Amino acid sequence: MQRKVNDVGGLAGLTINREEHDQTFFEKRVDAMLMLLTSPKVKAFSVDSLRRTIEESTLDDYSKRGYYDKWLYAIRQLLVEKAILSDEEIEQRISLIKHSKR
Amino acid sequence: MTDFQANTRHPIFNVGDLIVVKSGPPEVHCRTPTYLRGVSGSIVQIMGEYHNPSLLAFHKTSVSKIWLYRVNFEQADIWRKYSGPNCDTVAADLYEHWLIPA
Repeated sequence: MQRKVNDVGGLAGLTINREEHDQTFFEKRVDAMLMLLTSPKVKAFSVDSLRRTIEESTLDDYSKRGYYDKWLYAIRQLLVEKAILSDEEIEQRISLIKHSKR
Repeated sequence: MTDFQANTRHPIFNVGDLIVVKSGPPEVHCRTPTYLRGVSGSIVQIMGEYHNPSLLAFHKTSVSKIWLYRVNFEQADIWRKYSGPNCDTVAADLYEHWLIPA
C-alpha cells in the first residue's frame, strides 16, 4: 500500500522541532491569502483541495518546505487548477517583482 | 457554487459497536491513516455528517454527506511490541466507508 508523504504516523526516525517563533511577515501574508481565498464570499477552493495538493508533493518537497511554504505552493497550484490565474501570469508577476527590487 | 446534496441515510454504526478499519486502497485524498488500517476498534461517538472530503478535494460540485465516527483503538492493537500501559488508547475520527463490522 502506497503511503502519502503526509501519512507519517508510526514511521521511525522523524523528529519534531519544538522551537516556537513569532509569526514572520511572510507567514502572516500566506495565512491572510488563504483566509481570503477560502472565505465564504470568495470560495476560490476548499481546504480539502489545499490538503490534497500538499499531499501530492514529492517526499523531498514535503520534507524541505515549511508549513506556510506548503500552503503557498498549494495556493499557486489551486489558482491555476481553477483557472483564476495562469502559470504565465504568476511567472510574469514574480519576474516583475524580482526586477523592481534591484 | 457547490451543490451540496442532503443525505437521508441513517448511520449504520452505533456507539459501542466493534469495527475493523478497511485495509484500503486509499482515496487520493484520504483521511484514514495507514497505521489504523486493518485494526479493530469501537465506536465511541457519532460525530455527524460531513461532505465527502475526498471529493471536495477535487473541486467536485455535487458532494454527498457521509457519516463520521470517533473510534477508539487500543495502542497495543496498533503497534507490535507496544510497551506502554495496557489502558493506552488512541481515538480517531473516521468516515463510515472505511469501517466494517467486527
